[in-house]
Amino acid sequence: MTDLVLSDLTRSYGATNAIDNINITVGAGEFLTLLGPSGCGKSTTLAAIAGLDQPTHGRISFAGRTLFDAASKTSLPPEARGFGVVFQSYALWPHMTVDDNVGLSLRLRKVAAPERNRRVGEALDLVGLTAYAKRYPGELSGGQQQRVALARAVVFRPALLLLDEPLSNLDAQLRQEARIWLKSIQRELGLTAIYVTHDQEEALSMSDRIVVMRGGHIIQMGTPQDIYERPVHPFSASFIGSANLITGGSVSEVFGGQAAIAFGDGQVLRGHAPLPVHPGSPALVAVRPQNIQPTEGADENRLLVRFGAANYLGDRFEQEAFLGECRLRLQTIRPAPEGQGAIWIDHADALIFPLDDRAKDKTR
Amino acid sequence: MGSSPRISSAMPQEAPQTVLPDYSRLIQLLIFVVTAILMLAPAIPIAVQVFIDRPLYSDGWIFTFANFGKLFGSAQLASVLGTTAVFSVITVVIAQVGGVAAALFLGRTDLPGRHLIGGVLMWPLYLSHLIFGMGWVIMYGPSGFLTQWLARILGGAPWNLYSLAGMGIVAGVSQIPLAYLYCLYGAVRSVDPTLEHAARTVGARPLSVLAHVTLPLMIPSIITSAALNLVIAVETLSIPLFIGGPARIETLSTFLYHQGIAASDPDHGLIAASSLLLVVLVAATLFVQRLLLKNSHRYETVKGKGSRPALLKLGNLKWPLVIIMGASLFFFVIVPVFGVVLRAFTTFLSPLVAPWTTLTLKNFNTLLTSETFVRAIRNTFFVSFFSAASGTILATMVALLIQRSDFPFKRTLEALAYSPRVIPGLITGLGIFYATVIFSPMGWLRGSLWILVLAYVMATLPLALGAIQPAVIQISADLDKAARTVGASWSRSMRIVMVPLLRSAMLGSFTLLFIFHLKSYIIAIFLIVPGLEVMGVTMLSLWTNGDVGVTAAFATLQMVLIALFLVATRLVFRVKLYD
Repeated sequence: MTDLVLSDLTRSYGATNAIDNINITVGAGEFLTLLGPSGCGKSTTLAAIAGLDQPTHGRISFAGRTLFDAASKTSLPPEARGFGVVFQSYALWPHMTVDDNVGLSLRLRKVAAPERNRRVGEALDLVGLTAYAKRYPGELSGGQQQRVALARAVVFRPALLLLDEPLSNLDAQLRQEARIWLKSIQRELGLTAIYVTHDQEEALSMSDRIVVMRGGHIIQMGTPQDIYERPVHPFSASFIGSANLITGGSVSEVFGGQAAIAFGDGQVLRGHAPLPVHPGSPALVAVRPQNIQPTEGADENRLLVRFGAANYLGDRFEQEAFLGECRLRLQTIRPAPEGQGAIWIDHADALIFPLDDRAKDKTR
Repeated sequence: MGSSPRISSAMPQEAPQTVLPDYSRLIQLLIFVVTAILMLAPAIPIAVQVFIDRPLYSDGWIFTFANFGKLFGSAQLASVLGTTAVFSVITVVIAQVGGVAAALFLGRTDLPGRHLIGGVLMWPLYLSHLIFGMGWVIMYGPSGFLTQWLARILGGAPWNLYSLAGMGIVAGVSQIPLAYLYCLYGAVRSVDPTLEHAARTVGARPLSVLAHVTLPLMIPSIITSAALNLVIAVETLSIPLFIGGPARIETLSTFLYHQGIAASDPDHGLIAASSLLLVVLVAATLFVQRLLLKNSHRYETVKGKGSRPALLKLGNLKWPLVIIMGASLFFFVIVPVFGVVLRAFTTFLSPLVAPWTTLTLKNFNTLLTSETFVRAIRNTFFVSFFSAASGTILATMVALLIQRSDFPFKRTLEALAYSPRVIPGLITGLGIFYATVIFSPMGWLRGSLWILVLAYVMATLPLALGAIQPAVIQISADLDKAARTVGASWSRSMRIVMVPLLRSAMLGSFTLLFIFHLKSYIIAIFLIVPGLEVMGVTMLSLWTNGDVGVTAAFATLQMVLIALFLVATRLVFRVKLYD
């Protein structure tokens, strides 16, 4: 029922498009993450949904109600949309107590004082900050401020919760705790949430669905498993799971979703081709470091490489290897000696993509 | 999805807010319209008056360019313009040299007593040119106390204050604080100390560090303050009037004053044409300043809160420098101010008679028993308070509209709000006088103190914006966006979030404006009618009538009031106008 629909949404600044013709639909109760590097347009998309930024083209509707329509020049101001927003900077009002920060939305909605106090109390209880109600934001730690920001965003029961990198200012350990905690609150309240992050672990662990963005475009949209296990684009593969992108080959053979790619030195690698590829055209292969092994396995590609230095990472080693000009990273328990050697890659772990112009700058 | 519906069952999702009627746009439009009227009301009548053949208020005008003919045909104009140019250049050179040197030595070196010297250096900023010029005449004028004393020893007056050079020195000294403040805060305090350390490591001694690193980095601040001082020199009235007047030296501002106020049958066409000329000169100055600052990134140093830079050690130079700076301040600032106070408490002041034999309270008695004078004091407080308060409120609203709204005409608004910078205060007053004459709805203002409030608010909007806009920029935009997302309209988010956070900037603006208005005289000159006297204008006419003792008493009172007000705001609100 509560579907958020973004249609053909574009936001341009002069000649450049911060977001370029984006289409997304979000279902009720869904946790959707916009994932991408900085400048990919994820925060601009979030601001457009919140009403804090005006797109130049397209439509946004929520539960059948038009929030924004460039064609008819309709735009509901943020206060009329009623979405809860958690800002990256938390944006707590420094001159108001925690109580007042959380309670302002209810005051603006003319909720009577006893009811208001009860609900502010509930919200602070939810984030575990009941004892801090009379403090000012400047007297709280970063993690506590982040919790107040969340309480403030959910206390008025928004139909949609928008979170803009809410955990990026916390240190690593707090961030991991907050992830679990934030997800459970979202589930508990049954909130529809849109979450913006550049952190793949956050995205994979919290989301029902992930939208991978780059350069204002949607690269891939799907469940965390989809995105991780079946990337449809080399950018998805390299950004999530930091796959090696092996260039310099061209398609030699295509057979029903499978393809073979031949490198300049005559070596051939077989793999899966999620997108249509054509014999003779340039292509690249995406392989995750942990899927490259310096030991032999069955039914696997074998490639001759030159091994480089290995770094000890505690539970494993990371080693570099050179296939022609192309540098690869592989993770292994037993590193190979430096110098000439061979690697093995399972057919299912090698993803072959056509090397079009767009894919080329994705590898940068 | 809720597995443990602790809140969700008790709190069913609320329907999205219905769109309430939102007055934000209306408020924004209102701010825009009010500002536009305020800024244009004095300018338009002058612009019209330039091109018509008779005063605006008489019937049957004919469009004409004759006023320009009269202005440029007058033999006087060339000499007036020449005098104005020479006077302005002397003023600016003295102000900049003094200001830059003070900023370097007081801000960057271990000069002993630099806090005390810096404090006294600011005195002229708090005093009007009127009081400062008066002090110079009392002490250094041809019949001044020190001049006469030296003349008896030397057998002839050692200098002639009533000259172009004399005018330039007085105006220059009184503008040193402005150059000093700009250079100190614009550059000296923000220069990354590592730039200076770097110069030391390649072998530069303290003075060459100042000359080769610190000084060049100050260039944008020097240009900006020089432009402002040039504008002030062109439009200042009392110094040319007091000091140049007796020698019949006429600048553009005294020319306007004599044509408009002193003349029995003022030629409004000529006045308007010369006002326009003045505006063009000022606008050209500010335009040149912008051109010069186009490449200012070359002087950008590392921004942000640097640590307090380490002070350069002056070594053997420090005592000679202290003596030079201390003596200059003593003779150029302290002696004139002391002269005003001394004159206020004596029947006359002459080196022939010991001052303590002529001590009297008569001047203050005259001042405080005259209904007109007491009314002038009361009026000044009334006008200063309401102008400072409404000016601060207007500037806050304009700054928020410019910085924090999606109002479509905010760039126009910004240009309008800063336009008084090119209009000298004398002309703002004149324009409002015209406006009340021709716009009949404004007619009731004549004879009301509110006309002065209106004029003061108009003329000082850029000053107030200068105090408030930087503070607005420093507040994160997320704070008001957050208020919007929890349901506040634009105007509400400004009121709930921005205004409380701007409290200290607003108090600073109020203090700045209040002092500015308390000492102001120039804006009110064309608007004064009996009953509407303010201190500054009353002093001006008392002085021109030769009532030196009462004028000095008035000036002393004003200095005491300003000092008290400064101390009070510092103690009560912790407002500091600088630092």
